[in-house]
Amino acid sequence: MGKISARARAGGFHPPQIIILSFVAVMMAVAVFLKIDVKTILGDSLVRLAMNGVLVLSLVPMFNAGIGLNFGLPVGIVAGLLGMCLAVNFRITGLSGFLSAMLFSVPIGVLSGGLYSRILNRVGGREEIAATFVGFSFVCLMNLFWATAPFGNPVMLWPIGGHGMRPTIGLQNYFGKALNDLWSVSVSGIRVPVGLLLSFCLLGLLLHLFLRTRIGRALQAVGENETFAALSGIDVRGVRTLAVILSTVLGAWGICFYAQSYGFIELYDAPLMMAFPAASALLIGGASGGRTTIAQVVLGTYLFQTTYILSAPIANELLIPEAAEILRMIVTNCVILYALLHRGGVREA
Amino acid sequence: MPTGKDRLVVSVGRAKPLPTLLAKYSATSLGVQPLPVMPAFAGMTIGFRIPFPTARNQGVSTMLRIGNLTKAFGAEEALKSVSMEIEAGEIHGLVGVNGSGKSTLLNILFGNPAIGRTGGYSGAIYLDGERANISRPSHAVRLGIGMIHQEFALIPGLTVSENIKMGREKVCRFSERVLGRSFSRLDHRRNREDARLTLGRMGIDIDPGTYVSDLSISMKQFVEIAREVDNPELKVLLLDEPTAALNREDSFALMEILKDLARRGAAILYVSHRLEEVVSLCERISVLRDGEISAVFSRAEFDADAIAENMIGRKFLRVSRASRDCSGEPVAVSMRDFSVDMPGERLRGVNLDVRSGEILGVTGLSGHGKLALGVGIMGLFPSRGNVSIKGRLLEKRCASQVISNGVAFLPEDRRTMGLLLDHSVMDNIVFSAVQNKGRFLRRFPLSSLRFLDRKKARLYAEECVGKLGIKCRSVFQKVKELSGGNQQKVCIARSLALEPEILFISEPTRGIDIGAKEIILDILVKINARQGTTIIMASSELEEMRRLCDRIAVLYRGAVFDVLPPGCDDKLLARRCCGEKERAGPAAER
Amino acid sequence: MRRFNPVSVVFVVLCVVGWRCSGLSATFILNEVTIRFIRDGIMVLALLIPIAAGMGINFAVTLGATAAQVGVLVVVDRQIGGPAGLLLALCIGVCLSIVVGCAVGYALNRVKGKEMIATIVMGFLGTSLYQLVFMAGYGALIPSHNREILLSRGIGVRNMVDLHAFRNTIDQYWTVTAGGVQFPVFMILAVFCTAFVIVYVMNTPLGQRFKAVGENREKAELLGIDVDRTRIRAIVLSTVLACLGQIVFLQNIGMLNVYTAHLKTDIFSSAALLAGGATIEKAGVRHAFLGILLFHALFIVSPQAGQNVFGNAALGEYFRSFVAYGTIAFALILNVRHARRAPNAAAPGDADAV
Repeated sequence: MGKISARARAGGFHPPQIIILSFVAVMMAVAVFLKIDVKTILGDSLVRLAMNGVLVLSLVPMFNAGIGLNFGLPVGIVAGLLGMCLAVNFRITGLSGFLSAMLFSVPIGVLSGGLYSRILNRVGGREEIAATFVGFSFVCLMNLFWATAPFGNPVMLWPIGGHGMRPTIGLQNYFGKALNDLWSVSVSGIRVPVGLLLSFCLLGLLLHLFLRTRIGRALQAVGENETFAALSGIDVRGVRTLAVILSTVLGAWGICFYAQSYGFIELYDAPLMMAFPAASALLIGGASGGRTTIAQVVLGTYLFQTTYILSAPIANELLIPEAAEILRMIVTNCVILYALLHRGGVREA
Repeated sequence: MPTGKDRLVVSVGRAKPLPTLLAKYSATSLGVQPLPVMPAFAGMTIGFRIPFPTARNQGVSTMLRIGNLTKAFGAEEALKSVSMEIEAGEIHGLVGVNGSGKSTLLNILFGNPAIGRTGGYSGAIYLDGERANISRPSHAVRLGIGMIHQEFALIPGLTVSENIKMGREKVCRFSERVLGRSFSRLDHRRNREDARLTLGRMGIDIDPGTYVSDLSISMKQFVEIAREVDNPELKVLLLDEPTAALNREDSFALMEILKDLARRGAAILYVSHRLEEVVSLCERISVLRDGEISAVFSRAEFDADAIAENMIGRKFLRVSRASRDCSGEPVAVSMRDFSVDMPGERLRGVNLDVRSGEILGVTGLSGHGKLALGVGIMGLFPSRGNVSIKGRLLEKRCASQVISNGVAFLPEDRRTMGLLLDHSVMDNIVFSAVQNKGRFLRRFPLSSLRFLDRKKARLYAEECVGKLGIKCRSVFQKVKELSGGNQQKVCIARSLALEPEILFISEPTRGIDIGAKEIILDILVKINARQGTTIIMASSELEEMRRLCDRIAVLYRGAVFDVLPPGCDDKLLARRCCGEKERAGPAAER
Repeated sequence: MRRFNPVSVVFVVLCVVGWRCSGLSATFILNEVTIRFIRDGIMVLALLIPIAAGMGINFAVTLGATAAQVGVLVVVDRQIGGPAGLLLALCIGVCLSIVVGCAVGYALNRVKGKEMIATIVMGFLGTSLYQLVFMAGYGALIPSHNREILLSRGIGVRNMVDLHAFRNTIDQYWTVTAGGVQFPVFMILAVFCTAFVIVYVMNTPLGQRFKAVGENREKAELLGIDVDRTRIRAIVLSTVLACLGQIVFLQNIGMLNVYTAHLKTDIFSSAALLAGGATIEKAGVRHAFLGILLFHALFIVSPQAGQNVFGNAALGEYFRSFVAYGTIAFALILNVRHARRAPNAAAPGDADAV
């Protein structure tokens, strides 16, 4: 029986939040002590917030609909990758390239999301583990596609042989950093990517408004109490399908944001483990019990990404460089495991 | 009249199987059964009896004593200072209507973890003279307490002998000495033999190697009992509606087995709704009412009528309403052969016509289907048969269809089915109306994407709060913070927002204190009077229904057993619930 | 009431097609499959008990494998070779596995009904901790006694550690060659022995408790079984067996990929088990044996088949990864026994009183 303490329920902080906050505070102190340039870190953190934030946003519809954490995020990511490849294939550059990538991802996301939701509706109670493996299988299936893909643009293909996609496609000439550089301002030495942040906020706002519409309320009700929703005349199956499709499309857009910011499209096995950091960020923000707010997404993503950024230089100084990555993995998995244990198992009657 | 204690023990040389033997005797001469002894096991039977559990002191002594047992679930008191004594070798009956606290008592005695999770209990339990603090079923079993559950604690994928010997398996002695009991090899042959013996002693003919999943319901019941009979350390046996799944013949067989167990020195607590059986089997009967023992009858005082009356009690009447004859009105809801597949509350072919504007009560014992009526129509469980609303047949029974036909439903379990606990009063009140009728929404081309008109919703909610007297700080307060009665009012308000013509409501006053109960009932009366809403009320509160309803339908074993006028006799109603109809032949009771 | 499981049939078909396309000889495949059988047999068998106890696939066998590697690294660090070293590594690994198994079992008792996602995350977490200890701790906090396995920078174990000290210590015993195929009889018997141990355990009072808990937790509780302790025992047994399996695996391969050897054990073992016809709820020794043969046969022929048919060996590799994950996904999607809305429903015929 997973109970959340009354204190936490009242809107206070959950243990993961407290732990991460103290973790970040300690790391900041250490960073300052080690004279690491804080200004670039702050600028970086803002970029990373928006870059990863959309992926975390994509988890919200499914989580609020009671389907749990979307460990099948790779399905949406692959849709986004396809969309971006199409945009690159048609040689669309700059901001329009980015927007067309997002546009192309939508029908692909809707289709794969629809299929994905049918699978999830079958598994009842085991959504998270089934989603994990559906995601893994889908990525492996797509590997076959990437290896034989009929795309034309040589920049995407192996230089030797010309057959099969490269694992990493550079976006410098296309839409890499297109949004990052849009309306970028320097504020007392910190580089603030206004355009990027605004688009992220816009998406967040749209999602927030969606959750307050009639169907959004139906979605929240399904997440909170499925029996009640069914008795109130809501088409539970339909709402869940909508939630999954929404999550998938947002996931596709999320990888577009990520890739344009990173500057590279990463294919093959790259999407395999991308769901876990996103889930962890969501949980750090305080998500629980199916009533996640956009504010929690922003907070969680920001804290999580700051941990990431700070870990690299600190690990470099104190431990060894590779330790940074391992520490991140530990943090990610600890947070998810804590949430799983805290939430408890299947609700007993 | 022969009592349990002075029965003849006759050893029969060549006995016939038990059921045939019993078939020769009818219910009336139940007291004069010879004890059948299977010849092949005659010697074994005697051998069985030697190492038996005996009470600490020789002679009659108290095996189970309960002192001031109190248990509350939150604010609701399920047991109030219950005290009871059962002697070794006694079969003690426990009767009471739904919600009187019987299951809670059994759960405490058997260490059901749900008791501990909801705050534990206070009071003392003494088993064979020693104080016992039972926290888990494994603990109860170790102490020698066995239980026959209504839902059978049997593992379907294992065989009969494996189930019977669970926890007491015979193992190869050598492997036990070397590897310890947990890792010792099971001696399947001896286990099967033991199981065969036990079943034989009970007169049951089942191959111990059969898988439990392949057995019929009555056979499963016997295997469940065989498990306890097989236990040489059994001190107390708790039975929860053991004959619910058995026909008359098998019920007699069961009662014989229990009498045998009692002779062995076990104390038996027999909980059942079948008054006829309880009266014939038990030495003493305790009546639980509203969490308290209201009376204890001993054999000489047995009188089914008196017992039934004690079960129901008399309450101070306040809200009441003159019943009306609505037979002339058009039919609002019509059910033909309506069956609902709800586990634990199956409906099997209900035929019922509900007239427009009437208040129909639906009652019956728990498990006989009254709770399945509403949820079945709302499509929560698979169902068969025909249901027509206002003359129109419902092709697909799903909530949205039913609601659009003018029906609203209030489930019996408010907290898990009737409310969004984390949402505000306002959100809960307008929810169904928003989703189904599109009320309280702002204009927008796409109807799914419309926003809530918060001002309209707030005003409506405040109106409801005033009209129904919902006590809350504001309409924005979270519903989970309200008391049970106020939560029920929120549910009613939500249904009213749909402006329904027909209202299905299950257990309207469950878990609500006396004062609020009257208010709820008053609201229902007013809805019916002012809007002419047809109300179908499934409830176990017989006297509430008699005050409000125009007719009372009694469900028994999932079908309509009888439809009675509200002015009918208390005892008659109670007896109908137990499935007893006056018979033309010789009287059923002594 | 055995439902026909199509998965094994699909695998047989895929194997036959793959074999034809790959052009590899039957002898070669049989040799390879035999080696894999002894290498992975025990690991697959380790998954059986948690499934019987109703806990689904124990993805935390990775942690048992990790424990084995810790034992091996300690022994290599102290430069103890031969069978003695192997035995010591085994002891260390088993002790660690018992501790880890208890922790995992305790945690799983808090997530009844959602064990699989919890074990996968625990596997990731354990792996990360292991990597941290041996990449950043060895040489720094943990003194190194063996310069050979230390990285040049002074901290961290090398990626690959040679196990020549006990390579093939035991698996060359009693090799029988028949028709070009080598059968290391001792090891095959070892695998059969482990299978026998599992069958034996399921035939003890403890095994009865596993079965009861696996069928219905609530009813097992009512029967007086300590459900929580039984589940912990199931996981501990599984983890210990996984440790044993990894030791066998390592001494057969002869070298240790410190940071990657344990990584996909849970996926491949469970895929193999499921390929043999097991389900999330029911798995037996015959499923394990059949599964290893089928799954690894497919594994072996895929790259070559891909090369021959599509001119791209990588396709074959991608295909076999897909098969592994896909088998597990398929098993999770099918066989949903409990309906979502009725947590403790009586079986369909149960309440149908006369």
